[in-house]
Amino acid sequence: MSKLSFRARALDAAKPLPVYRGKDMPDLNDCVSINRAVPQMPTGMEKEEESEHHLQRAISAQQVFREKKESMVIPVPEAESNVNYYNRLYKGEFKQPKQFIHIQPFNLDNEQPDYDMDSEDETLLNRLNRKMEIKPLQFEIMIDRLEKASSNQLVTLQEAKLLLNEDDYLIKAVYDYWVRKRKNCRGPSLIPQIKQEKRDGSTNNDPYVAFRRRTEKMQTRKNRKNDEASYEKMLKLRREFSRAITILEMIKRREKTKRELLHLTLEVVEKRYHLGDYGGEILNEVKLNRPDKEMSTTPATLHNGNHHKVQECKVKHPHHPSLKEDMSDVVRQKKKYPKKPKIESVITPQQPTTEPLPVISKSDIKQYDFHSSDEDEFPQVPSPVSEPEEENDPDGPCAFRRRAGCQYYAPRLDQTNYSCENSELAELDKLRYRHCLTTLTVPRRCIGFARRRIGRGGRVIMDRISTEHDPVLKQIDPEMLNSFSSSSQTVDFSSNFSRTNASNKHCENRLSLSEIISNIRSCRLQCFQPRLLNLQDSDSEECTSRKPGQTVNNKRVSAASVALLNTSKNGISVTGGITEEQFQTHQQQLVQMQRQQLAQLQQKQQSQHSSQQTHPKAQGSSTSDCMSKTLDSASAHFAASAVVSAPAPSRSEVTKEQNTSHNNINGVVQPSGTSKTLYSTNMALSSSPGISAVQLVRTVGHSTTNHLIPALCTSSPQTLPMNNSCLTNAVHLNNVSVVSPVNVHINARTSAPSPTALKLATVAASMDRVPKVTPSSAISSIARENHEPERLGLNGIAETTVAMEVT
Amino acid sequence: MAEVVSGVWRVVPARVGAGFPGVPANRFAFRPQGEVTEGCRLPVLRRNQDNEDEWPLAEILSVKDISGRKLFYVHYIDFNKRLDEWVTHDRLDLKKIQFPKKEAKTPTKNGLPGSRPGSPEREVKRKVEVVSPATPVPASTETTQASVFPQNGSARRAVAAQPGRKRKSNCLGTDEDSQDSSDGIPSAPRMTGSLVSDRSHDDIITRMKNIECIELGRHRLKPWYFSPYPQELTTLPVLYLCEFCLKYVKSLKCLQRHLTKCDLRHPPGNEIYRKGTISFFEIDGRKNKSYSQNLCLLAKCFLDHKTLYYDTDPFLFYVMTEYDCKGFHIVGYFSKEKESTEDYNVACILTLPPYQRRGYGKLLIEFSYELSKVEGKTGTPEKPLSDLGLLSYRSYWSQTILEILMNLKSENGERPQITINEISEITSIKKEDVISTLQYLNLINYYKGQYILTLSEDIVDGHERAMLKRILRIDSKCLHFTPKDWSKRGKW
Repeated sequence: MSKLSFRARALDAAKPLPVYRGKDMPDLNDCVSINRAVPQMPTGMEKEEESEHHLQRAISAQQVFREKKESMVIPVPEAESNVNYYNRLYKGEFKQPKQFIHIQPFNLDNEQPDYDMDSEDETLLNRLNRKMEIKPLQFEIMIDRLEKASSNQLVTLQEAKLLLNEDDYLIKAVYDYWVRKRKNCRGPSLIPQIKQEKRDGSTNNDPYVAFRRRTEKMQTRKNRKNDEASYEKMLKLRREFSRAITILEMIKRREKTKRELLHLTLEVVEKRYHLGDYGGEILNEVKLNRPDKEMSTTPATLHNGNHHKVQECKVKHPHHPSLKEDMSDVVRQKKKYPKKPKIESVITPQQPTTEPLPVISKSDIKQYDFHSSDEDEFPQVPSPVSEPEEENDPDGPCAFRRRAGCQYYAPRLDQTNYSCENSELAELDKLRYRHCLTTLTVPRRCIGFARRRIGRGGRVIMDRISTEHDPVLKQIDPEMLNSFSSSSQTVDFSSNFSRTNASNKHCENRLSLSEIISNIRSCRLQCFQPRLLNLQDSDSEECTSRKPGQTVNNKRVSAASVALLNTSKNGISVTGGITEEQFQTHQQQLVQMQRQQLAQLQQKQQSQHSSQQTHPKAQGSSTSDCMSKTLDSASAHFAASAVVSAPAPSRSEVTKEQNTSHNNINGVVQPSGTSKTLYSTNMALSSSPGISAVQLVRTVGHSTTNHLIPALCTSSPQTLPMNNSCLTNAVHLNNVSVVSPVNVHINARTSAPSPTALKLATVAASMDRVPKVTPSSAISSIARENHEPERLGLNGIAETTVAMEVT
Repeated sequence: MAEVVSGVWRVVPARVGAGFPGVPANRFAFRPQGEVTEGCRLPVLRRNQDNEDEWPLAEILSVKDISGRKLFYVHYIDFNKRLDEWVTHDRLDLKKIQFPKKEAKTPTKNGLPGSRPGSPEREVKRKVEVVSPATPVPASTETTQASVFPQNGSARRAVAAQPGRKRKSNCLGTDEDSQDSSDGIPSAPRMTGSLVSDRSHDDIITRMKNIECIELGRHRLKPWYFSPYPQELTTLPVLYLCEFCLKYVKSLKCLQRHLTKCDLRHPPGNEIYRKGTISFFEIDGRKNKSYSQNLCLLAKCFLDHKTLYYDTDPFLFYVMTEYDCKGFHIVGYFSKEKESTEDYNVACILTLPPYQRRGYGKLLIEFSYELSKVEGKTGTPEKPLSDLGLLSYRSYWSQTILEILMNLKSENGERPQITINEISEITSIKKEDVISTLQYLNLINYYKGQYILTLSEDIVDGHERAMLKRILRIDSKCLHFTPKDWSKRGKW
């Protein structure tokens, strides 16, 4: 029966095998041979040894007797364990430690010599010891050193002397003995050593060579895959480490500066205390005297993470988790201290901007703050103001809650709480919040604050905004931003203003050009300068400027021709300020003038005239006479950002500057006096007073922006695309309020207001109601006439010059 | 035509049976007047362990002349090499001497590195004989053959029991080279493991013991095999070893001097097991090179197939010691690859001769499997096994498996059962070894359509008797061992 299942299945290691024992055992006759099913396992021995007599005998004996029989064991060479001198050889006893023995790998190399003295050496030693004392160990060290210093060639006696720090006689004796012994030695060394492999491979089969190095690395199965992954991980690690290093360096810098600040502050406080300057009067005095100096010192900017400098303005938050915040808080509180040492405790948070110390001008205070601040980039940002409110007046469920790990900027209070009383810097700052001081490459001038947007087809659209500072900004020469070497070149215009326009309150607060520039230079003010276009070729400039308005590159289209060229060509260069009255009175007159295309002669005259005017100013930098003559200073106040509403999509900002020679800030006509001085100083005088340009900016229609426009920009005619409505005379400035500040700012003593300025004024008036109409259409029409006919042919943008006549 | 060729090739299996006793006499030309030279075969008197005289057939491997007395190094055919010895002339039965048959191809073969004559000596002698067969060539008196034949180390494929075979095949007219060609030029041994399975480096030098005697602590050991101790030390009557650091010195005086400088009283490693007087030390072959090398040199004296070709870096050495008031005396050891690609948990394993047959070998084996249990792996000793190794392992496997089988309890009145995999998992013995042991013990039977394990009375009795003698056991509670993941380290 079982024969039928002769072909047994293969033995399955995973299948349970029932175990039969003793009586349960089935009759083995019933069992089937499994020889086929279960292959015979190899013994693992070498074949020829497997058959060895003693092994076979032992195996069979085991099979038979199921245990080893003494006579059946495999015989081996005898071993004796009867070394009777063992106890003398291995002296002492070794107590088994309780703990497991654990050895330190470094303890293994002891400095004992490898050479062991033999009886022959002992004889020598005994002989030597008659003359001098030499210990066996000493001798062994000597031989050891000699052996190890020699390879195939024995060391010389001289070398031996260097090698051994012994008596010369001893060295000689040992050396001679060693040389003799070495020669008789059969081995390569007196210290028996395992034969080493030789590089040439000649020892590959030498049976006495052992322990060869494994040249090929042993292949382990594992380290194949993750090579790339681990490499990437390493790279990442490296990046992160270097970032950590950067952060730590920054922290170091910050902390150092903070310490410095603290010391300085303490010093100031001390000084003030000694002087009894409890009210801060002396401090104010000191500060007023040296604003320039303070501005020129670039404050240490300490950054937290990756934030851009300009944006850096963090909220002081009491429950901010980071230590750093806390620390800076402390510092901040301390630096407040000097201001109000008596009034407020150290812990008092910073006061709002309406802080006392009326004598100190706001900007000065802020400047002080700025310099002492360890992290605020903007002195004018009163970030801590909100602190108490935040703490004490939560908004209930709607309260703003900070999220851990987020960094928040300080709220821009100056923007929401704008008031005329706010300092100029605050104003600037507010503008800067969205707008950035922008410089055009062609024409090379600063156009004041503007904001760039990318329009359809990649056009770059400039949104401009007019500020009180426009007159000043207008004077900024891009070159100055680049190469602003000394403050001596700039004139403090604010002081000029304060003297000339004494009646004007705002002028006092106005920032000086130098201040702005230094602000820019110290990166406190963002200033955008596009990459330089080729300015060399004025003709090409012209060409580019003549390109159709629909062209993609608006910047290029808007590029203005170089001033001098324009001057010669168009010849209308007017410098002048206008008052509202003048504006109105001369409006028609001016329009007429424009239409008649003011003669070049006249312009030349004017330019000459203006240059004459400029010179003395530049030299003397005295403003009094200049002011008397240059009524055009008023023009500064006609900082106008011409707002052109562009119905056509292709419409874009067009900045046309027919201005002679100088850097008009777009839409901002700086006081001519200023411009003149600028010329005289920076540009080594050129030609006529500027014809300010009007840049056509498509407003996004911020009422606020418009509202802020303190002055209408007079100046230049604008060319607008043909399809634009700008051809219409309905040019409106959108806001009356735009005009009104002009009045405020400009002392109405200007003579000969420029026709365009007048136009703008009207435009402004009309704009109030029709905000979307281009303000400069009138001007542009004039401009067209002013220009060569070819310009008119330009589709879209043509340059126009508006003569701003200086009386 | 093809049949003829195949006929020639069919010689190959015939060689397998070579070396058995009763080699036909016609293979060796009988030369009564001939000198006893290397390669000669003749019965040599030998006293067996029962103190009886035997005359087993032996082969002369070397001849030396010491003060006018000739000594012959004989290998007893079908006896392990460890019994090879120097014998005097009077122990040779010259009447039955068989001279090596001169080989037709000797001249051409002589220069070939890939050929495998028995030994260079033989080869040269044979050559001489070819030139003048009548003139007896005096045997070389050099003790070191290497000095006589400086190039002899190159590529000798010396096959211990194979000269006979070769001649046999020559007699049968086969082309010897056709078989040799498969061997090719010998190259360096594989870099994994400690044992060589092919004997391409087994030349006449390594076939002969080179150390007369080793003194290690209380013991004087007679080496069994060649060991590459420095050549200048091989002529010494006794090589002295420091018992603890295993450093070899040439004289007792040197050993004395060494002992004043060596303060070791235990193997220079970490103790990972201790029970009673038995301790195990773990030594890293990379970190403690000198001890590892010394240990390997000593072990090579008793391990035929062990190779010391490469360094000891990829190995760990587990040294078993017995403690007495003098220190931790080495009893035996096994080495183990840090990373084995073939599930080896032992590379070389040795109980020093004075401690043999006392259960230490099995203790070492048991310990090696305990380590594997901690590692959660099954393992097997590296091959080839020696005769003693095979016996020891079989014995250990048998006892371990039988122990499990006999302790199986029947559940719910059903017959107890177990899978081979389960046995393997419990014991860490590799599955193949389990099967081979079951087979060796004849436990596997096929009954009623399934495999069963049968434990016969005599098996059970034999096991119980054996276990009574097995007193030394490893106590896993005394093992303090954390396996390292060597694969995560750049080097061994």
